[in-house]
Amino acid sequence: MRTLYCLLVVLMGFSLLAGGEVERTPLVVYTYDSFASWGPAAAIEQAFEELYAVDVQFVAIADSRTMLSRLLQEREAGRQGADVFIGIEAADLARVTAFDLFAPLSGTDLPNLTGVPSSLRLDPAGALIPYEHGYITFVYDSERIGTDTLPRTFDELLDPAYENRIILEDPRTSAPGLSFLLWTIHEYGDPGYLDYWRKLTPNVLTVAGGWGEAYDLFLGGEGPIVLSFSTDTAYSVIDHGSARHKVMLLNNQGYRNIYYMGAIRGTDHLELATAFLDLVLSPEIQELIPTTEWMFPANPAALLPVSFYQYAVTPPQPVMVAPEDVLKHLDHWLREWAAVILGG
Amino acid sequence: MTTNRTGRILLITLPLLFLGAAFYYPLLRLFREGVTEDGRFTLRILQSVFTDPYFQRVILFTAKQALWSTLLSVAIGVPWAYLFTRYRFPLKSTLRSLTIVPFVLPSITVAVGFILFFGNNGHLNRMLMSLFGLESAPLRVLFSLKGIVLAHAFYNAPLVARMVNAQWEQIDPAYEESARALGAGRVRRFVGITLPMLVPGLMTSSALAFIFSFLSFPIVLALGGAQFTTLEVEIYTQFIVLFQQPTGAALAIVEIAISLLFTYVYIALEGRFSHPIGGAPRRATEPLFRGWHWSKAILWLFIAASALLVLGPVVSVIVDSFTRQWGGQAVFTLQWYAAIFQPEYSALIGAPPLRSVLNSLRTGGAAMIAALALGVPIAFVIARYRFRGRRLFDTLVMAPLGISSVALGAALLSAFLRPPVQLGSTWTAIVLAHAILAYPFVIRAVVPVLEGLDRGPVEAARSLGATRWRAFMDIELPLIRRGVLVGAVLAFAISLGEMSATIMLARPEWKTMPLVVNDLRSARSFGGASAMSCLLMAATAVAFVVIERFGERMFGGAKWSKSV
Repeated sequence: MRTLYCLLVVLMGFSLLAGGEVERTPLVVYTYDSFASWGPAAAIEQAFEELYAVDVQFVAIADSRTMLSRLLQEREAGRQGADVFIGIEAADLARVTAFDLFAPLSGTDLPNLTGVPSSLRLDPAGALIPYEHGYITFVYDSERIGTDTLPRTFDELLDPAYENRIILEDPRTSAPGLSFLLWTIHEYGDPGYLDYWRKLTPNVLTVAGGWGEAYDLFLGGEGPIVLSFSTDTAYSVIDHGSARHKVMLLNNQGYRNIYYMGAIRGTDHLELATAFLDLVLSPEIQELIPTTEWMFPANPAALLPVSFYQYAVTPPQPVMVAPEDVLKHLDHWLREWAAVILGG
Repeated sequence: MTTNRTGRILLITLPLLFLGAAFYYPLLRLFREGVTEDGRFTLRILQSVFTDPYFQRVILFTAKQALWSTLLSVAIGVPWAYLFTRYRFPLKSTLRSLTIVPFVLPSITVAVGFILFFGNNGHLNRMLMSLFGLESAPLRVLFSLKGIVLAHAFYNAPLVARMVNAQWEQIDPAYEESARALGAGRVRRFVGITLPMLVPGLMTSSALAFIFSFLSFPIVLALGGAQFTTLEVEIYTQFIVLFQQPTGAALAIVEIAISLLFTYVYIALEGRFSHPIGGAPRRATEPLFRGWHWSKAILWLFIAASALLVLGPVVSVIVDSFTRQWGGQAVFTLQWYAAIFQPEYSALIGAPPLRSVLNSLRTGGAAMIAALALGVPIAFVIARYRFRGRRLFDTLVMAPLGISSVALGAALLSAFLRPPVQLGSTWTAIVLAHAILAYPFVIRAVVPVLEGLDRGPVEAARSLGATRWRAFMDIELPLIRRGVLVGAVLAFAISLGEMSATIMLARPEWKTMPLVVNDLRSARSFGGASAMSCLLMAATAVAFVVIERFGERMFGGAKWSKSV
């Protein structure tokens, strides 16, 4: 035991020594894992560090909601965990605004925001800035479902021909899952959506915890229809050389999701943080969004790659439930939904 | 003598003080939200949880699936323990070290393995379909309770096997020999003698299996679907999606209360069945591959079936890591490995995959040592001292296991952000968080063997003038070495597989392997995630074999032969 304690002390001492490095002014950015591992984070860091004498540190350990809850915890303990946060979804907009977490910004601080359409700028306080958007749609395996038999409306999705063939995500644990729940509420209202879900249940193979698991099931051939993104065909063509997985629209709609970022209130580097946000909106960075995030850039000045332009689907009728309504009713909607899924 | 006494008190109070400050106090602070409204104490939130028919169903289902999972884990684990205790075969100790590998796999990897292997379109079903010329999948395992229970057994059966094996090896074969001489048959000997003596190990491991299955979350959603909602899903929703801290805290209280209630019952049973076992001589083993008996045939069949359960998903992940889809065809590729072996894998900021291997091993090693330093003294207190509320104490020290992972992440983050353990997001914080999660395993692995130990030799040594410390080091430690080793290996495994606390505390440069698996998955690099999972399995396997070899030598080997 004594040896163990000694070893322990040595190890702890080691870690203290290892911690002391000299650094440039750090700008800490909390974001979701895929923004850093897959998305444009590396390019943003490089571009920003060329302009300013800062050290951009992306902390991207988990999904955006978990990162947000980490930030809130740190704030409660009186720590300024981050200077910038990237990755608030439109559905969470009102909920997050209530925490007063973000510093209000004026349009003049962000020259690149000028071109961003006002339909994307849903935060009345102007603290949360949109940087990309996309659509939740169904995606199907074109080798297992013919174009002629494809469901094109919400009602056709109830056809017994699709019994146990649809893979969904859980609205409680997954953003696309929440989008679809809100979509059905937009279509059928409350409590009409519950009735629709009751009828849909026999056709649902499973409601997976996250998009990744659902897509794994889809790729593994467990079911031919999955709830996913309208850019999936573009991804499939560009990254896998196959257009086998195709986007399918219901009622010509797609559920619109907009993603926001902001400077954290109380940061010592508000000017730098603002400049950073502006850089993310610049056409050079925005042009990376399609093939790294597989989303549409918020800044229309950004040019889209040809195959993305060709295969990424923009639904003729994007729909969305207002963030204020989501804040007011989400608790209730999720609970009622879960009762239906559990067979209550 | 007084310094010796002070030393002993310090050895016991230091770990307890640390745990109080770094875990129990922040946990209570978090739970307080579940029982206060406008600053006043109330049971209203808890009451509303218990009276809500929806939550009632969720709680009942959570317990039901955990119970089934525990039963299956025991049913699979015990024959393996038997195999390891009774037989010898080439590479036995290596194989035994490897049994814990499934335990460290991120649940998402296990879910993927299960989908690929047990899926309706998975390897197993396709094999059976082509073998018997069937039209549709004969084994419908996914999206049902069966899939969930099988996956939980995948995790927990190895745990049962290891802990029961450690207990079994402590049983003096003389008891069975005498029964045999008196004419008792194989079955009679097992039921009448071996089984009662195995109860402590059996109880301990099934308590752990129950708690794990009770808290399970990604596995349940991935393999069962939302229709199999567990309490943990609801806690996640309340905390992370709805920001409803009070309801989330109330649910977490319910969850931990049920987990600890089970722990308490098990501990009480464990105490009732524990016997002094004495310095058991090494049990004689039989060669596995020679001699024939009908019981061996059954054992073989069983081993083959359960190996399919464990190896099927693992092999599927390995195969997946070597394939990619191109133009609708699955083709062999090394690209996923090429990607993760690039030292400066540019897409991953902070921790390239290879660095995460080192991170995991360093953190795991340090956490293991810290967990032993925390756990062994507490195990010693529980096993050696009689005091009022001992069982309650024993139950409460298990709390890190029974707590919701969401609540745990929040509690540990809040603990490390405030005095007196103000470490912030540092490596030390991660190590200590892992140690807090792992020390209950050390306790559970050490207490049964320590309780079963005959105190005669210790007292003899003391009467011959040995200090208590010396007696512990020279007599008890070698005798309980299997227990300590199992505890160490489990602690290491817990650290390697841990995600929820790491997510809350880690800086990018300290990302561990499971976090990188997650990263790769969220970057749609499913093949890369599989390759990283294989790397995780390989690194863990090597580490386990090394720990056990080194550990056997460090505690015991030589001293043991001296004392015989």
